[in-house]
Amino acid sequence: MIELTTSLAEATAEVVRRVQRSLVVLHNGHHGVGAGIIWGSNQANKKRSGTLILTNYHVIAHGRHLRAELEDGTEHPARLLAQVPEIDLALLEIERDNLPAMMIADSHSLRVGELVLAIGHPWGQRSAVTAGLVSGLSTAQTRDPQKSIEIIRSDVNLAPGNSGGPLVNANGAVVGINTMILGGDQAIAVPSHVASAFVEGALKGD
Amino acid sequence: MATENNPLVALSNAMAEAVERASAFTVLVDARRRMPASGIAYATNLVLTADHIIEREDEIQVLLPDGSQAQASIAGRDSGNDLALLRLKNSGLVPAETAPQLARVGQLALAVGRPSSEGVQASLGVVSAIGGPVRTGQGGLLEQYLRTDTVPYPGFSGGPLIDSSGRVLGLNTSGLAQGVALTIPAPLAWKIAETLAKHGNVRRGYLGIRSQPVDLAATQRQALSREQHVGLLLVGVEDDSPASKSGLLVGDILVSLDGEPITDPDQLLARLIGEIVGKPTPVEILRGGQRQTIPVTIGERK
Repeated sequence: MIELTTSLAEATAEVVRRVQRSLVVLHNGHHGVGAGIIWGSNQANKKRSGTLILTNYHVIAHGRHLRAELEDGTEHPARLLAQVPEIDLALLEIERDNLPAMMIADSHSLRVGELVLAIGHPWGQRSAVTAGLVSGLSTAQTRDPQKSIEIIRSDVNLAPGNSGGPLVNANGAVVGINTMILGGDQAIAVPSHVASAFVEGALKGD
Repeated sequence: MATENNPLVALSNAMAEAVERASAFTVLVDARRRMPASGIAYATNLVLTADHIIEREDEIQVLLPDGSQAQASIAGRDSGNDLALLRLKNSGLVPAETAPQLARVGQLALAVGRPSSEGVQASLGVVSAIGGPVRTGQGGLLEQYLRTDTVPYPGFSGGPLIDSSGRVLGLNTSGLAQGVALTIPAPLAWKIAETLAKHGNVRRGYLGIRSQPVDLAATQRQALSREQHVGLLLVGVEDDSPASKSGLLVGDILVSLDGEPITDPDQLLARLIGEIVGKPTPVEILRGGQRQTIPVTIGERK
């Protein structure tokens, strides 16, 4: 039994280390920070080598001087490529290459009860980890009453600063983007398949 | 680390499978004005749920795991323990399996509910404490309860607390202690459900004694030949009561009922609930330093 709990702890630590390498701190020129996910290199950009960063729309909204702080402490100006307020997602680019991208899971196959970890910067605390499970899979109405989006409910503890950060599965692959906190004990994430479709569309110029 | 060797992935899969198993016996119970709550399939046509979520006696709707709706009527209620048993017109439920052992502090546990038609919801935690007996807000006495650090989401009352294999550890409710979420352990909840199925209510037994706990001296413990340090000293025996009819006397020290050591008046009260009523039951006492067992037919408290 001791062996099992030790190997669980080691596996968790390894997953967390891997995710932390691909997590950025986003500064928007105001107080507080948000989280961003290194999504991959921008293949669509032929002129120069850039890296895509996914975050919440509300993290960068009204921001003027967007900066992404990497794990090594360096800061880079971030350019806004696309945004969809309805699903609270935004895509940024920084002029750096060879950054480790996060693994992205297909959230279509997500099940209630799966273990998840949230990694972000709650109250500015860098790369903090909280654990829980997928507590529900449902839909929520957007501001447009005709439209609804899929959401992941989880019981991980989140705080301001987690926004835009990843909800990862036991493999360390992103299943959702942490977006909202309801009543302190229920977190809402946008599924990774919704995020992937948004990024794909944004790069095609949709 | 490869997926197949990652214990975290194994744990995650086990939890998802446990929730899936629980979803087969977790139903939605719509019997109040505000949002519906949850219930557990107890038998193919019986649903065990929390009593406080039943605000009306007719037009109780149950949403089954397969998505179909069923009409339910009340088979029995026990507001003191916040439990109610509902009967469906048609059978077809998959009864829940209970855990073979009582929950342990520190054990991984998941709270599961079906608060909406969107499917089951779950929350992860551990068993934080096991307590009881405790007097409930409804004038009842809960023999035992579990506390967990799972999140009691709205509509979770009446739903199961499950172990990592999807077996029921207890029934979750926020209706027993001023909104604090407690879990009624499965053995207790199932015992009460059995009584509700048979009688429609929970029969509370009656001995007709007044008692107070007393420390047992070394010689008295020796007479018992076990390490029991406290018994109940009888300070009053009512006339014509089951106790007086069977010959219990003031000054006797009650040490066990039906083979179970008794050290607390609340514990005795809790033991007198249910199927024990009307049955000749061995009551073990110390009288003049000697151990005796006297059969008492437990009366019913009206």
